[in-house]
Amino acid sequence: MTSTEFFRPTSTEEACSLLARYGSDASILAGGTDLMVAVNQGQRPLAVVIHLGSLGLDSIQATGTELILGAAATHTEIARSALVREEAPLLAEAVRSIGSPAIRNMGTIGGNIANASPAADGSVALLALRARVRLISTRGERVVDLEDFFTGTGETVLRPDELLQEVILPIHDLANQWRWHKLGQRNGSVCAVISVALALRMEADVCRHARIAMGTVATTPLLASRAGEILSGHRLDEPLVEKAVAAASKSIPERDGARASAWYRRRICEVTLRRFLTPLCAPGNEVA
Amino acid sequence: MPWLEFEVNGQGHRVEVELSTTLLEVLREQLQITSPKNGCSGGDCGTCSVLLDGMLVKACITNALAVHGRKVQTVEGLARPGELHPLQEAFHAHYGAQCGFCTPGMILAAKALLDENPQPTREEVQEAVSGNLCRCTGYVKIIDSVMAAASALGDRESL
Repeated sequence: MTSTEFFRPTSTEEACSLLARYGSDASILAGGTDLMVAVNQGQRPLAVVIHLGSLGLDSIQATGTELILGAAATHTEIARSALVREEAPLLAEAVRSIGSPAIRNMGTIGGNIANASPAADGSVALLALRARVRLISTRGERVVDLEDFFTGTGETVLRPDELLQEVILPIHDLANQWRWHKLGQRNGSVCAVISVALALRMEADVCRHARIAMGTVATTPLLASRAGEILSGHRLDEPLVEKAVAAASKSIPERDGARASAWYRRRICEVTLRRFLTPLCAPGNEVA
Repeated sequence: MPWLEFEVNGQGHRVEVELSTTLLEVLREQLQITSPKNGCSGGDCGTCSVLLDGMLVKACITNALAVHGRKVQTVEGLARPGELHPLQEAFHAHYGAQCGFCTPGMILAAKALLDENPQPTREEVQEAVSGNLCRCTGYVKIIDSVMAAASALGDRESL
């Protein structure tokens, strides 16, 4: 018996028992694209590692009303999945903008969410898509709305004995319009300066429901709920778009970041949303 | 001490490692396979790229113990005795290697692409090597080399 241990559980029950036993002493290893960077930088000593590679948690499936992504599905698998491209193209597009091919081959959607980076491209798209996450433990399970999951940078409601098992996306009453924009300092292998995701359902020129989410603008991926509400249930025209744009911009906290100032991020948010929404306005009502 | 068994370029190995050991450390320090380089230790630069079960990964942020039971390929496993791989030929003929530090990673990123997509566009090549930095900034020659290798491999197929 050594002081350090590496476990390869083969069932979620086994993984949960290990988490119940080791709690916050355990590090969960999925793709390792975040964990191992922290380990290499000396920020994360490893005492017990629970590797999720043998759990079969990488499936992507649809029930009648939901799309279910196993937490260990990689970004490459999600971006290439015919189901995701059909039912949630916004997510396919967002995860395709993560890192580089090798990072997408290893990194997982569960890791993207659980590491709770404010820049997490996958989480931003999932917020716009009204995703929920299923958290399991030996005590049972709970399903949490993604917008209630993040509590700070690197901080979530996940308890030390809980495992993020899957991501659940509603696919009934589906958004039929979506837009994704990630602005970085270059095109490949880059952390967003700001990312903007829009998912809405249009029927003729009426917006049935809309959700707008943004990355790298706050301490967590941010859902601009007020902006979405302004658009929902209304005919889209220039004054309404401007109101929603102003609300989204205002939802960005007045705090300058390492890669951009709040002023700059607000400007990009405004320009991006105008570009997204203008073409959806009724003819004759376009934003100038 | 934790250990793993895995294959590198067709040869089996059993190595003992720490929990924090990376695949790159095992390759370079325990097995003396030095084509993958340590550039950034953060998964950004791509000089440590290897193929894991045929898939491009960054060895510097791949936990060694997660590679148990799997197959790794490096540039050392590409050439046959007396015969370079068409990608190696093409990088040589088209000056795709400048200082050479990024070259093993570039070649493996290109191989991962060509294995799936034998006739890529220049844009697809660009995307495939987007996680591999060349600080000699010679991307044009690198992309020329990959395009030439694709067409050489295509000619070989059609023989």
